[in-house]
Amino acid sequence: MFPGTEALLMEAGLNLPPAAPAPDPLEPLIRRIRAGEVEPFEELMAHTEARILALAWRILGDRHLAEDAAQETYLRVFRSLHTFRLGERFEAWLIRIAVNVCNDLARKRGPLPVRMETLEALEGDAAIMNAEETALLQQRRALVRQALAQLPQAERAALVLRDLEGHSTEEVARILGVRPVTIRSQVASARSKVQAFCARLIQATPGGRL
Amino acid sequence: MTTTHVLDQLPLWIEGDLKSPEMAAVEAHLAECPRCQEAAAQLRTSQGWLREALAPPFDPAPQHPLRRRVMDRIRAETPTKPAPGLVRRSALLAACTASLLIGFNLWRQSHRIPSVLPLGPAPPEAVEQPTGPALHLPLATHGHPAPRAIRARPAPRPEAQAPPQDKPACIEFQTADPSIRIIWLAQSKPQPGTRPSLEDKS
Repeated sequence: MFPGTEALLMEAGLNLPPAAPAPDPLEPLIRRIRAGEVEPFEELMAHTEARILALAWRILGDRHLAEDAAQETYLRVFRSLHTFRLGERFEAWLIRIAVNVCNDLARKRGPLPVRMETLEALEGDAAIMNAEETALLQQRRALVRQALAQLPQAERAALVLRDLEGHSTEEVARILGVRPVTIRSQVASARSKVQAFCARLIQATPGGRL
Repeated sequence: MTTTHVLDQLPLWIEGDLKSPEMAAVEAHLAECPRCQEAAAQLRTSQGWLREALAPPFDPAPQHPLRRRVMDRIRAETPTKPAPGLVRRSALLAACTASLLIGFNLWRQSHRIPSVLPLGPAPPEAVEQPTGPALHLPLATHGHPAPRAIRARPAPRPEAQAPPQDKPACIEFQTADPSIRIIWLAQSKPQPGTRPSLEDKS
């Protein structure tokens, strides 16, 4: 772009042309794996596994099932890596596969059982809270997870990707293969349902404390 | 104050999913409507609880067990099929061999060298089978400069002994790898029955 072009476009009320996409830092690893090397796949996992595990846990609501989903996701990725089109964002492709795996597992498992996660995540909080506060926090977390678990599968995936994984509406639409307007509708519905669930929960709790 | 409430738009407004004019309209309404303000506050609270409750329980440290399980499965699957690079090299070698054979046959036909002995009565003179020409393949290796193209130059010989058509055959193959070129040179001895020799002329 010539110097001053940006200012002229802004003065004319025009949008700036989209910048060229940055090269995917994972592409060299992908090329090596596609050339027949196996070891770079471990590095590829190291770069992405935390996000995939978190995504699977948020969609499935179960730690062990999330680990199974992550394992199946990476096996599918390795077997079909030759179909990935270089130049596209690898992570979006990976997340799409992970969501499909989670949906498959969720269908096989049936209705989501609500698990009370162990207190491992609260160990840090426990030191500064009294027992009553800790119990209330734990109860609230479990019930919010229950609210998420009761959402239809498509709404849950859209809400997790948009509000918890931090993707834009357009990115979520690309990952899930639907139009952005569908994602807006799904996340609006999901947010309203979670809010309504939380509101009922507060009313049902003695003293409304949660 | 606008009389139309914005309750339907709040779930999108709360995360900035509305366009700028709609965002501004909702905010203008919220500034004056206690009912919508309360709904917005509840929505903000539930979104905060959602993020807090869905913080992943996994240790941020590397997931060695998961990685090990996946890599074990992948390594177990991989040896059953050859690496793509090996397949490409084998295919290249096969193509080169086939090209050499075709080239050699064409050259032999152009020089009318019978591939098998003729049937029937034995020829008056013993047919000398052409000995296979020595095959030199100057292959470039890593760390060494690629060989320069070799042009076939017939050795200077007396005109009577070396007719112009007896130049050595030269077949060059450029492989997919620009540093590798296969050059094949071949020259045959004239057969006694196909060409007049000096002794016959005299």
